[in-house]
Amino acid sequence: MASETKAAKEESVKDFKKSLETNPDYDPNIVVETQNLTKVYRDFWGRQKVRALKALDMEIRKGEIFGLLGPNGSGKSTTIKLLLGLLFPTTGRALVFGQDATEVTKNERIGYLPEESYLYKFLTAEETLDFYGRLFDMPGSVRRQRVAELIEKVGLTWAKRRQLKEYSKGMTRRIGLAQALVNDPDLILLDEPTSGLDPIGTREMKDMIIELRDQGKTVVMCSHLLADVQDVCDRIAILYQGELKELGRVDNLLQVSDQTEIRTKDLPAEAEEEIRQVLVKHGAKDISIEQPRTTLEELFLNIVRESEERPGHRMIDQREESAKQ
Amino acid sequence: MFVEEIPNFLDTITGSIFLVGAITLTCVIGGVLAGYLVATFRHGPFEAFYVVSSVIAQAIPDFLRTSPRRVYAIARLAAKEAIRRRVILVTFLIFALALLFGGWFINSGVSNPEQVYVNFVLFGTQLLILMLALLISAFSLPEDIKNKTIFTIVTKPVRSTEVILGRIMGFGALCTVLLFTMALISLLFVWRGLSHQHEMVSNNDNPEAVVGSISSFNDVVTPGKAKTGRRVSANCIKELMTGLENGHRHQLEYIREVRSPDDVPPNEDSVVKKETLPDGDIVYFRVVCQPAAGHTHAVKIEQRDGESIVKLGPARGYFRARVPIYCQKVNYYSREGILKGVVERSGERKTAEGKKTKETVGINVGKQNNYRGFLDGSTALSRAEFEFQDFSDARFGGDSQKIPLELSLGVFRTHKGKIDRRIRASIQFESVQSDPNDASESFFISDPPLVFETMEYELQTLTISRKLRGRHIDANGVEISSGEFDLFDDFGANGKLKVIVRCEDAGQYIGVGLGDVYFRAEDNVYWLNFFKGYVGIWFQMMIVVTLGVVFSTFLSTPVTMLGTSCVVVLGFLSKFIRNMRAPESAGGGPIESMVRLVTQQNMVEEMEQSFATTLMKQADVVFVYCLNSLTYVAPNFGKLDFSSFLKYGYWIETDRLMVAGAASLALCFGLFVFGYFCLKTREIAG
Repeated sequence: MASETKAAKEESVKDFKKSLETNPDYDPNIVVETQNLTKVYRDFWGRQKVRALKALDMEIRKGEIFGLLGPNGSGKSTTIKLLLGLLFPTTGRALVFGQDATEVTKNERIGYLPEESYLYKFLTAEETLDFYGRLFDMPGSVRRQRVAELIEKVGLTWAKRRQLKEYSKGMTRRIGLAQALVNDPDLILLDEPTSGLDPIGTREMKDMIIELRDQGKTVVMCSHLLADVQDVCDRIAILYQGELKELGRVDNLLQVSDQTEIRTKDLPAEAEEEIRQVLVKHGAKDISIEQPRTTLEELFLNIVRESEERPGHRMIDQREESAKQ
Repeated sequence: MFVEEIPNFLDTITGSIFLVGAITLTCVIGGVLAGYLVATFRHGPFEAFYVVSSVIAQAIPDFLRTSPRRVYAIARLAAKEAIRRRVILVTFLIFALALLFGGWFINSGVSNPEQVYVNFVLFGTQLLILMLALLISAFSLPEDIKNKTIFTIVTKPVRSTEVILGRIMGFGALCTVLLFTMALISLLFVWRGLSHQHEMVSNNDNPEAVVGSISSFNDVVTPGKAKTGRRVSANCIKELMTGLENGHRHQLEYIREVRSPDDVPPNEDSVVKKETLPDGDIVYFRVVCQPAAGHTHAVKIEQRDGESIVKLGPARGYFRARVPIYCQKVNYYSREGILKGVVERSGERKTAEGKKTKETVGINVGKQNNYRGFLDGSTALSRAEFEFQDFSDARFGGDSQKIPLELSLGVFRTHKGKIDRRIRASIQFESVQSDPNDASESFFISDPPLVFETMEYELQTLTISRKLRGRHIDANGVEISSGEFDLFDDFGANGKLKVIVRCEDAGQYIGVGLGDVYFRAEDNVYWLNFFKGYVGIWFQMMIVVTLGVVFSTFLSTPVTMLGTSCVVVLGFLSKFIRNMRAPESAGGGPIESMVRLVTQQNMVEEMEQSFATTLMKQADVVFVYCLNSLTYVAPNFGKLDFSSFLKYGYWIETDRLMVAGAASLALCFGLFVFGYFCLKTREIAG
């Protein structure tokens, strides 16, 4: 049965690819492309209310994690909705896999996690995933197997028969992610994927995003949690008031070209002073030699990990405590 | 019950196919133009062309590639949603409570309690199920859009066709299960409500006698009148009233009946004793239960200690599904013997020249429903001829010797005299030529005509003997032979028969309509007919579900509910609106009537001639025209209502159901296509 479905899916993808042959401009390495994409919201009488997106031109390549950054109202969600065909562009085009974003067949290869995990609260986790599996025309046996796999993957096996209305926000996000992955998509669109998750959940989500990228999938995420974007994204686009302000690789964009950082381990104090003198001799300015700090996230995760390994009271560093006093 | 048409499925379908095609084409062209206009407004004329073409181009694969699995998934979800919101449970509880306590208030002592019971359950079920259908269908899609749960559906490879069809099927299936349950419970409720048995009570005038024995009966002092003062049959010897049950009593008559040995003997169970007269005739002394509240009871005599004790069985006369064999057409002739018009089986009225008309065919006796045409009294030439086809004894159980012919005639009196006096009418049977152009064909005619008395608002059954006295006449009008002829083998040898109805009282009129004279074949199964009656409600329910889902593709929940309710009300009142006073008649149209009401002007008084009056009258013309047009847009729910068949105990023909089903399906499909385009062109996240 599984091989039968695989064959059916391959057939469907083949059909899809064949349909793309009619589009001579289609480059299989470009998963998403927007051309002069503009969205204007109007009121009932057709009067312009707000220009949410202004002439957006960008490309998202196969196998990368692409982040859409921007403050509230900058057009991130509008872009995602335009890519999904939930909104129609006022002018310009949005192409996904070389097809118009309003084309239904493109959704065969897309997974979408909305901002608030808009799911049916009266369904259980199992029923939810089974329902979405049916929407992909998956046969019963494959669907059951896939549902079990995904529930295990997002760590909800213990709550799979509970209605979603009894779920916490974090659990809802997990089941939301599972529904986005039910069809093993090639392109995953994540709207604020870490919102509502605790630090462990956030880390797991980020790890999962990177794992998906490593599997060759393309991930597009929008978020205003800059640290999350920085941690996982290969490329980002920064939007402000509907306009594209910056686009490029995260590494390049964050590189401070006029500063130098030297890292080493167990450096004696004398050597540190020697280095400082060498730097002064060469005319270096704003010299700062100090021990690096870990992130709060790292600290928190280390404590949790440690606590899991050694349950019970944990010794708190007394020096720190007295310093505070 | 007015049977205005007797539909034939194949004829109706072939007749309507061009009309449906023309309407579809008009809607398609209109839809494309409307879509282009809206798109022009949004994107400009050139971009609009591209938008409309892409929508049309996507529509074809959307319809062709609709996946049953996805439709099923959405249907299941819709059903689960309605169940888990407990709306179904609440509806069912209301229904159960209505039956539990409603039964207390039903007056079963009326002349036909079956009608009251059937009316109660049908109306209750219809009201609840249509409200439920409206609620669940109007809430679902707008709620999904409001809660944005629709985002996770339309971002899957789900087509708009599947979203709409899934919802219609899910809600439809759920309501169907509930409707079936309600029908089943209703059937039990009606059966339980009407089933009863009467106890025999002791007679105060004769307290020593054994209860229920013949000796406890009251004597008859003069023929036709008992000691108690109650009227009885002419051959009644004794009488007694039963105990009160379901608000009524029956009169039991102990009668003396003489029958020849060749006659069919009465039911043995009801016979107390029998004697043979010297001439060979047999005298039966038996007990008859007189009908009351639309039914009677079987009588059984039991012998106990030398006494004949009367026992009554269950009610008989309820739960009928009479199968009428209607005529093909009715021809009306004037007092001069000239053909005045024809009413076809399809309900179409035609003048003698073959032109269609909406007027009364036959004599118009004034402001009455044009269903019946009237016949002059005491003229042999003024008559109505009912032409039957496929008339064979197989339809009456093969070797049946007595053929029931039922009539419900209208009466119009030009002089009253005693108002309750019955009017005399007659019927005659005549064979119909196989080939109307063959002048050499002989025919049979029954003679003398069968004269009977009739009343308005009365359904009467004449039992026609299979052997009828009549004449065999050749093509030139010369009698070949006379004597007894067979109704099927002689009169209806070619499967055709003519029943001629006349009014026999001078100065009075008899009214006949298409469904007023019919032969009655063997009764059909009641419970099946009961469920057929619910099929009509099912059609209405499916239309409401479709309307609700389709409207909710572009309207919010409150507006959807309002819109659907308006269409349903318009559908139920379409006949009333069409019959509304025309602007040119006395009192004017709706606006003029309102002005007259406010200014307290007489209905018949001409209004003062002025520009305002002319304007008002013209506005009335437009208003009535628009209202009339609207009634043709809204589904005619009256045509899907088969409750009168159940109330009056008639079998609902399968063709009638199929025609109603085909019309409902066509409407639902049209609405579905409309809904598809509305959803397809809607910005879900907009």
